[in-house]
Parts: sequence; C-alpha cells; structure tokens
Amino acid sequence: MFKLLKVSGSSLLPKYRDGDFVLVSKIPYLFAPIKPGEVVAFRHTTYGTLIKQVQSVKPGGDEIHVVGTQEHSVDSRHFGAVRKRDLLGKVIWHIKKPAKFAI
Amino acid sequence: MIYKALEILDRMAGVERAQAHCDIPCGIYDPITAQIAALTVVRMVDLMHDLAKSHGEQDVAFQNSMSRYVASKEEHAEKAKHEIRVIWGDYIKPNHLEKYPQLHSLTHKIMQLGSKSRQTADREAAVQFVEAINEFAEIFWETKGVATKRAKAPYAPALEVVYPDL
Repeated sequence: MFKLLKVSGSSLLPKYRDGDFVLVSKIPYLFAPIKPGEVVAFRHTTYGTLIKQVQSVKPGGDEIHVVGTQEHSVDSRHFGAVRKRDLLGKVIWHIKKPAKFAI
Repeated sequence: MIYKALEILDRMAGVERAQAHCDIPCGIYDPITAQIAALTVVRMVDLMHDLAKSHGEQDVAFQNSMSRYVASKEEHAEKAKHEIRVIWGDYIKPNHLEKYPQLHSLTHKIMQLGSKSRQTADREAAVQFVEAINEFAEIFWETKGVATKRAKAPYAPALEVVYPDL
C-alpha cells in the first residue's frame, strides 16, 4: 500500500536531494492514470529500487518512460521503459532533508 | 521534526534506498593506450629472445632481466585487453554494431591474441595482437568521423600503427 524510501543520489536535483525521504503508494493509480511529471519509485532488475520522473506513458499504460532531471541520470534513455507492474508507486509525501540537519 | 523522526527510524530499522542514480561518462575514449601496450608486448618478446641469445649462462642477472620482461609482457597484454574491453563495452553502441557487425568477433579475437601473447613468447601472435587492435582503432575513429593514417611507430619495435589523421 505504502512504502517509505530514502533518496540516494542526485539525478533528481534540485527537487529531490540525497537524504530526502519519500512515501510512495500505488493507491492513486487506482483512481487516476500515470501522468508525465509525476515522480515514481520502481524496481529494476539491474539497478534495484529507483526513483525517477515520468516522461511519457505508452498508450495502454503498461510502459512508462522515466528520466532524471540531470544530464547524466541513468534512466529509460539507458535501460528502456519501465513496466507498470514494477512500480512501487508515486510519491505522495516528500519529506525534505533540512538544510542544516544534525542528529 | 518529522525528518528527524524518520532519520532515527532509518538508523534503527533501515529505510530502503531509492536510487536517483547518476553515471558520469567522461567521454574520453582512445585506443592509443591499447596500441602502445600491444607494441610493448612485442618489444618484450624481442627483448626476451635477444637476452636468451646473448646470455649463454642463465645466471642471476639473466633470471632477473628475463623475469622483468615477462612481468612487463603480462602487464601490458592485460592492459591492452582492458582498454579494448572498455571501449567495446562502454563506447560502442547498437548503431555502431549495425554498421560494423565485425566488432564483436574482432574484440573477441583481440582477447584471444592478448591471452596467447601472455601464455607464449610467440612474436607472431604479439604482432597479430597489434594488428587486430589497429583494425579496432580504424573502426573506432571511423565511428567518430575521424580519418586515420598508418605510420611506423618511431621506436622499437617500429611496427605499423593506426593514428588519427588530425
């Protein structure tokens, strides 16, 4: 239903930073189709759990083209489309890392 | 506050990471490193044969020099193989393979000749190793639209090398 993830890496800068937390869920997709611009998390056989931005969705909705917002992002330009069944969900809550965080 | 709570949760239970993965391709590829390494292999084979001819007695000095030549031959054959593997694996894309379908078999041939050059003191195998890498270099520069020329290396073993004609 819901999954809490911690962002690692910088391919979604400046919106998502290394260390941010995100809560993802598939529930929104029960009511609305996947739309370009949404940020989604998914499983990839080689790269593991990834978080990227939806660029386009193939008619039929099963193949999703994802990209990072940085030039050197490893995404659908390298590994092709993501299948809908590999999605963990879209980001429904983004908890940003405070600028000066110390624990 | 929420972040701090989540950070504590992460430290205690370990929150799964979602990779916003980036790669940094430097874009610097040049087969010349492999070509020089392969030339070095031929040079080492020559030095090994010269030493064997000139040294009647296999004393400690002989063993020392021969060991150094063999070690250098090993190192440079492996270096040449590595450099070619990187260009083949990272730079070569499907459109290159469509245009140059021989790239896979050529790369495999280079690997085999590199291994043979390590296993033996066969000069002919080492020369073939240089030439196979030259062929690879010709294709590589062609994919970049850079003309090439063949010229003899200005140092021993003075074999023909493919250079970009800039």
